[in-house]
Amino acid sequence: MNDQADDLRVSGLTKQFAGAAGTLDVLTGVNLTMQRGDAVVITGPSGSGKSTLLYIIGVLDEPTSGEVNVGGTMPLLLGAVEQAKFRNETVGFVFQDHHLLPQCTVLENVLIPTLAAAKPASDIEDRARTLLDRVGLKDRITHRPGQLSGGERQRVGICRALINEPLLLLADEPTGNLDQKTAESVGTLLLEVAAEQNTMLLCVTHNLDLAARFPRRYELTDGKLADVTE
Amino acid sequence: MTSRRLLIDNLRHYWRTNLAVVLGVVAATAVIGGALIVGDSVRDSLRQMSLDRLGGVDFALTGQRFFREQLADELAQSETAVTTAPAILLTGSLTRTSEGNTHRAGGTHVYAADERFWSLTETPEHTPPTGNEVVLNRRLADGLEANVGDEVSLVVELPAAIPRDSLLGDRNETVTELTLTVSDIAEDASTPGRFGLNPGQQLPMNAFVSLDTLQRQIGLQHQPVSRRNRTEKLARVNALFVDSATSSPDQEDRLSPEGADALTEELAKHVGLKDLGLRLVVHQERGYISLESERMIIEGNLAFRAIDAAREMQSRVSDDEEVLVSLLNEIWNAEDPDKFSMYSIAAGVQFHREPPFGPFEYIDGGPPVIEQEPSNGPASPRVTPEEIPVVLTDWLATDLSVSVGDLVKTKYHQVGDRGELPEIVQTLRVSGIVRLTEPAADPGYTPYVEGITDAETFGDWRQPFPMKLDRVTQRDEEFWDEYSTTPKVFLRLDDALSLWQSRYGRFTSVRVAPTPGNTLEDIRAEWERRLLKKITEPEIVDQSGSSPGPDSAQTIPPASGLSFQPVKQQGLAAAQGTTDFTGLFVGFSFFLIAAAMLLIGLLFRLGIERRVRELGLLRAVGLTPRQVRRLYLGEGALLTLAGGLLGTLAAVGYAGLMIYGLKTWWFGAIGTKFLFLSVRPVSLISGFVIAAIVALLAIGWALRQTRSLSTREMLAGTSEPSLDAAAKKKRGRRAGKTSLIAWGLTVSLLAATLAGVVPQTEAFGGFNWRVVTFFVVGVAALVGSLSSLAWWLDADKAAAVRGQGVMGMIRLGLRNAARHRGRSVLTASLIASATFVIVAVAAGRRNPAAEEPVNDSGNGGFTLVAETSTPILYDLNTEEGRAKAGMDLAGDDRAKRQVGQMRVMPFRVKTGENASCLNLYQTHLPTILGVPPDVLRTMIDDDRFTFANTPADQPWELLNQQLPDSRIPVLGDMNTLLYSLHKGIGDRIEVPPTETPGGTLQIEGMLDGSVFQGVLLMSEANFFRLFPDQSGFRYFLIEVGPQQSEAVSTLLETQLADYGFDAQRVADRLASFLAVQNTYLSTFQTLGGLGLLLGTLGLATVMLRNVLERRGELALLRAVGFRGSQVAWLVLCENAFVMLWGLAAGTLAALLAMTPHLTSTGADVPWGGLQGLLAGVFVVGMLAALLAVREALRTPILATLRAE
Repeated sequence: MNDQADDLRVSGLTKQFAGAAGTLDVLTGVNLTMQRGDAVVITGPSGSGKSTLLYIIGVLDEPTSGEVNVGGTMPLLLGAVEQAKFRNETVGFVFQDHHLLPQCTVLENVLIPTLAAAKPASDIEDRARTLLDRVGLKDRITHRPGQLSGGERQRVGICRALINEPLLLLADEPTGNLDQKTAESVGTLLLEVAAEQNTMLLCVTHNLDLAARFPRRYELTDGKLADVTE
Repeated sequence: MTSRRLLIDNLRHYWRTNLAVVLGVVAATAVIGGALIVGDSVRDSLRQMSLDRLGGVDFALTGQRFFREQLADELAQSETAVTTAPAILLTGSLTRTSEGNTHRAGGTHVYAADERFWSLTETPEHTPPTGNEVVLNRRLADGLEANVGDEVSLVVELPAAIPRDSLLGDRNETVTELTLTVSDIAEDASTPGRFGLNPGQQLPMNAFVSLDTLQRQIGLQHQPVSRRNRTEKLARVNALFVDSATSSPDQEDRLSPEGADALTEELAKHVGLKDLGLRLVVHQERGYISLESERMIIEGNLAFRAIDAAREMQSRVSDDEEVLVSLLNEIWNAEDPDKFSMYSIAAGVQFHREPPFGPFEYIDGGPPVIEQEPSNGPASPRVTPEEIPVVLTDWLATDLSVSVGDLVKTKYHQVGDRGELPEIVQTLRVSGIVRLTEPAADPGYTPYVEGITDAETFGDWRQPFPMKLDRVTQRDEEFWDEYSTTPKVFLRLDDALSLWQSRYGRFTSVRVAPTPGNTLEDIRAEWERRLLKKITEPEIVDQSGSSPGPDSAQTIPPASGLSFQPVKQQGLAAAQGTTDFTGLFVGFSFFLIAAAMLLIGLLFRLGIERRVRELGLLRAVGLTPRQVRRLYLGEGALLTLAGGLLGTLAAVGYAGLMIYGLKTWWFGAIGTKFLFLSVRPVSLISGFVIAAIVALLAIGWALRQTRSLSTREMLAGTSEPSLDAAAKKKRGRRAGKTSLIAWGLTVSLLAATLAGVVPQTEAFGGFNWRVVTFFVVGVAALVGSLSSLAWWLDADKAAAVRGQGVMGMIRLGLRNAARHRGRSVLTASLIASATFVIVAVAAGRRNPAAEEPVNDSGNGGFTLVAETSTPILYDLNTEEGRAKAGMDLAGDDRAKRQVGQMRVMPFRVKTGENASCLNLYQTHLPTILGVPPDVLRTMIDDDRFTFANTPADQPWELLNQQLPDSRIPVLGDMNTLLYSLHKGIGDRIEVPPTETPGGTLQIEGMLDGSVFQGVLLMSEANFFRLFPDQSGFRYFLIEVGPQQSEAVSTLLETQLADYGFDAQRVADRLASFLAVQNTYLSTFQTLGGLGLLLGTLGLATVMLRNVLERRGELALLRAVGFRGSQVAWLVLCENAFVMLWGLAAGTLAALLAMTPHLTSTGADVPWGGLQGLLAGVFVVGMLAALLAVREALRTPILATLRAE
């Protein structure tokens, strides 16, 4: 995978939605490349298509046209089962709404993605504990989501996204539901662990404070990405 | 983290929803398993009833033949070492009069037996009746309102040695009455309380009397030789009951048909000619032996075997001759009627030329020219020539002053169908005159008949008919004095047969002469031995009737009719073949099962929808859809396992409740209280497995619904795919079109039905066009109303949100129903379908008691149906017949007028099993009615009764058709054929040759809902072919004005009480048959109602889903100032709308489909109960909706709004 020049290459991505008032062009030709260790943030107004772009890259949505190449794999061309495998092994998701399972403990929630593998690595639980330790939740591993604060829940979400050592970490408004102070710490954590794990971090947000801390910044307007890195 | 760990976490965390699913599975398992247990319980109860009904009786020998009581002891002392009880079985009627009230019970089974029988009943608490005591069973005692110590009168038919409808039969004294005191009452649970040989769960009416007492009363007691009795008469019985327990401990072997055959063979070793009413008379001086019968005419099948037996003796027998004698009332010179002779005997003979039967010594002329020998084959219709050649004795020729070539005329009685005795005049031509010397001068031509052939003068005759004694001449008396029963007239046997042959037989004697060197006594002994062997031992033949083959061998009961039946084994087999109550209760519980399944599916889906984000996450983190489905299916399987195990316990409780229901609320369906719960592990396991499959299918269906959602939609919490405006509009238009087409079809088909355009003929597969129309109208109306709902919901303007206050809220509520059109229409459809079935079933109820007699209906235009215990020989339609039957209406003009207006259709009866729907056991040979030609003519001419799926313009004509292989065409009621006998048109029923020749019946037509339920009908000619011994009539249909029916019924019952005449309104008889059907409908309705109630819980689940989905929206309404009650009103309106639409659509569709029935007489819709049920469903539905409202109002406004 590392032989490739770009670990992520998005080219000519378009997405149209059919509505009562006619076709709506959300993405009109998005191009983006990233390498391992890159951290990219995309900002833009509500409804600009930020999340759609993220979900297309994470194979949770389909583009109208265009290509996505992650580490040499063209995930959009895979079948459903292979796409699931791709998501499981190569992509990690951090959602605005953390989507923790209320019935599971913190540790179990982190380990949820390992359910997909036929036989998870034997040290996977140690890795989960290490990650939780890293995000400061060492003492909370037996707690359930209902017993955690919003920031803590999101930190569990970050650990869950990293459990399978993904090449690509996708974060959709990771601080959207958090207060400013918590948002700041979660943002910091996200950037730090992504760097530590040598993964590509692609984040969409309209939190400008969070965006300002990313080395590469883009803005999605009129369906296209514009590099706004200063 | 493992899948198992997640599964356990899921089960624990979502325990409330999971518990609801488990309860749904419990309900399904309980209902399915319960139905299986009900089936087992009914079968096992019937089996137990068979055992209780028969007590220790394993085999029974019954019939019309009265044989020596001693046979019982001889059998018991034989190698079989069985316990044997002799008895007399008769049908009689009992009467008890007290304080001016008379209680009658016709059709009572009378058992005359001694302590040997009582030991078999295994009821030591009962003392066998002695003297004039009678033991009644509880049902009979209750019917007569009799208690121990009360006096009752019992009337039974006197057994007749000579058939009553033959010339010398006794028609005057046919019954006898005994006054008895009730000594004991046998309760329902005891063997005597329910004793009966035919399988049936309903309690019979039994009366037990002392064997000795009844034997004395009917003249069958032991009578030693005395001055009055020329020969010793042994005590006689007509039944033997055998308990084989002592001979073989192996149960199976003990009860088998082979066991019965072995007993029959053993019995054959002891049966003598006396047991068969036969005697061999040695005419020493004339050198021949004559076989005679107590009945005068030798039974046909016995006579032919006797001839065969004689002819097998070949070299030892020189000749045999068959003779048929008859009595001529008067014979006179055709030219000079003043030359006459009274009461002469004529003999049909074969005019042998060799001694001892010939030759006659002719004075003039000779024997009639013999054209052909009489055949020994079955009787064929003969044409009686106008002049029959005869040989007269010189005595008669002198009296009549006739010589050879002259014509003489004679009058003789013919016994008519209705006991009438018309005198037939026949012309004879004298072909020869014979001298009164041997062999012509032989009184032995005529068999001995007590009271007639032994009378000293004509005046001493036991007059079988009114005799004109004043016309008996001196010469006649002198002849009787000198020559006694010697015939005065001889004619060819064929000619005699053409005049006098009856269905009882052909010959009055069979005579055999030995070859020289053989003594008469030797020949008699051998003939007797051979004859007995032929008629008492069961025959083994192959199917073609020739030599026995190993595979095709079949045992034919002996011609004597003295054969044992394995009654206990037959009873146990009949219990196995009973109505399938498992199927019945699965059917009855259909809506319960469907509702439980729906509930499981809806609840599980609700759980899934609440966790749809979770599903989305699992897919987002890389689990394949299959892995996700498997995870949730596993969860469902565990819930199913838990529910199934609990449900298995509940199944026993549910079955117990159903059994209780069958014994109480639905008593009419089975008519017995002796049902018990019988739980078999295999049924529990089957119930569990079936319910588990059903539940998993429902869960699979619920999971399948999530397939069309994308992971993103799931992550966003969407549980239904969205539809754009254009597609919605198109969908609405399609629903509109469907609605119009469906309503058009409904209206036009209904109009066609009401206009009588739809025929009553078969459409396909046994369904007639009316039934097809019912279904099409019903389904079309359902589709019409539901697609109207869909159309209306898709039209956005239909309930525009405007206005204010309650109306505004209602509009908003209706609009909400349109939000998830699919859900609302599905819910309304389910309620509508269940309502349709329940209303249609209720509307299908009939009350025939309200129906007028109409020719082309189930009552055939008849008002009364009557049965008697003793056959009536006479025509009740004529004054003369009524008088002969013993009706005395002198001085009662009103009664005379009433009976004068009635029209009676008599039927001959061969009693068999009760194959009506009142009997749960499987039956094989029901009671058979013989339809006399004039009754058949009336049925045809007046188009009586209606037929189902019978391929003939005039189905009654089918009874007269000739079928190949001598099969006999029969008609039967559809219910009897389909449900009791499990037969259809073209199927065959074997009549085993016990006592009778046997034969094959072929079903040619099915009567529809007729009074003939439980019986089969055949033409009288065929009836006599099968059952020649049945005389008179025992079943009557009476046409009389409905307003006079009560009076006529009472009059006939009183006047014909000696016959045990028991009349009932046809409408009531039909109502009793329909009671079973109506009870089944009630059961179906009750369980269907329960299903509908369970279905409303499903509706509540849907409501809860709706409310949960709209939590934010409802919170917003509250935030903008709506009161809690207003929000509740909104949700209730939506719920009520869907429910009411469903209830109304179902009710309307059912009523439209049932319109033809509802407009007929006899429709009996229980409107009150129906309205109550539907209202109950509505209320439960609304209460369930309140739960959803509570859920909506419980959440704090702000938190909900924030969460959104």
